[in-house]
Amino acid sequence: MAPIVQCMGLTKTYGRKIALNQIHLNLERSRIIGLLGPNGSGKSTLIKIINGLLQPTAGDVLINGHRPGIDTKFRISYLPERTYLNPGMKVIEVVQYFQDFYPDFRMDRAYDMLSRLQIQPNERLKNLSKGTKEKVQLILVMSRDADLYILDEPIAGVDPASRDYILHTIVSNYNRNASILLSTHLISDVENILDDVVFIKYGSIVLQAGAEQIRQNEHKSIDRFFREVFAC
Amino acid sequence: MLGKLMKYEWKATWKFICLANLMIAVMTILANITVKLDFFAYDKNDMLQFIAIMVMMTYVLSMFAMVIGVAIFLVYRFYTSTYSDQGYLLHTLPVDKHHIIIAKVLVYALWIILCELMIYFSIIILMASNGEVFETMADSLEGIISLTISDTVTIKGFAVVMSLIAFLFTLFAKLLKVTACISLGQLSANHKLLFSVLYYFGIYIIQKIFSVIYLTFVMALNKDAYRFEWYYGWESMLLSGIIYSVVFYLITWYVMDKRLNLE
Repeated sequence: MAPIVQCMGLTKTYGRKIALNQIHLNLERSRIIGLLGPNGSGKSTLIKIINGLLQPTAGDVLINGHRPGIDTKFRISYLPERTYLNPGMKVIEVVQYFQDFYPDFRMDRAYDMLSRLQIQPNERLKNLSKGTKEKVQLILVMSRDADLYILDEPIAGVDPASRDYILHTIVSNYNRNASILLSTHLISDVENILDDVVFIKYGSIVLQAGAEQIRQNEHKSIDRFFREVFAC
Repeated sequence: MLGKLMKYEWKATWKFICLANLMIAVMTILANITVKLDFFAYDKNDMLQFIAIMVMMTYVLSMFAMVIGVAIFLVYRFYTSTYSDQGYLLHTLPVDKHHIIIAKVLVYALWIILCELMIYFSIIILMASNGEVFETMADSLEGIISLTISDTVTIKGFAVVMSLIAFLFTLFAKLLKVTACISLGQLSANHKLLFSVLYYFGIYIIQKIFSVIYLTFVMALNKDAYRFEWYYGWESMLLSGIIYSVVFYLITWYVMDKRLNLE
């Protein structure tokens, strides 16, 4: 089968600044892929282009063989690095919102996760803490049976104790035939769940390999290897 | 999906609009009481006259507050839901961009019509101080319609219907002008909101220039009074409403679909 994501010469510039530079990248199906790089390396830019939120300056990207559009949005479940829900809505209303727009949304799964986290469905989002809001968003995203989950910095804004819960939620709830593209710079927290890693630096892909392959070849953890590659 | 988008746009906006209309309703009742009880009469004491003046001032100010408040609220709602953080959700929904624009514009148009009707009925109730509400309404409607229909028109019913359609397209054009300007502002790298405002004034000036050219053209073509009234009649309103609606719609759609850059 064709890769779930194919990037061909993907370039994005902001004025004179090059955010992505001739990216050629294929992401395989049924894999958990870590998109790893320091702040400002182009991770979020790449993710936004795949989701159709940014337009590439040059090159092309295909998801399931389609350019970003309605077809791909049916199949991608995206968690941005910011709070994107209307703060005036109640939790129960945003669950209904996802149910209305995404045919693959599983309401029972969402309510199960909410109850396990003791999040009240009738609570308004503006009354929740930042961390709880992020958990609600993650629950919504992981309650879909998507082909590709794209999670942009899902653990960056939460305390270390919550990170384990979030990673557990991700691993235990995703559609097994799907891929997860997980962007982060907190490598040590996620490296145990990764199948593949992609290192991105100054808008260019510097490495794409299997997580186990890196550990065997380099005789060190991915976190350690990352620190060497991205040493200032 | 259009129906669902409209439902959520409605739910996100109804509280503010209803509150604004409730404020007008309360002020209309208070103003009507001061008129009915004749608080302004010379034989009433100073305190009652002062209260009456204050109520009427608050009534007029509340009208302005509603018009300006609702306009700002709808502009803010469009901006935040489309191009700020909430845009990340909106633009990753599996829906057509045409549906997004149509849903927003239709809901906003409905709210504006509701607010305009509220203001209209409020004024009618206040003017019809002798209880002749329907007579006052009929007189005022005739006055409004005469603004857009020439005296020489023979089929009045058709002209009235066309005037209403023209009003509707003019409203769509105004709303879509705002959505187009906000969208165009997003194309700039910095100061997006400032550029949106500048685009608005730029387009406003261009529209005025087109109006002058059109008026000059109509006057030069025929000095006949009937033709000249075309400039002010429903024909011109409908024509400009449709043209501007289409142009501003296409600009909004183009930016949203082809040039979206949520940074």
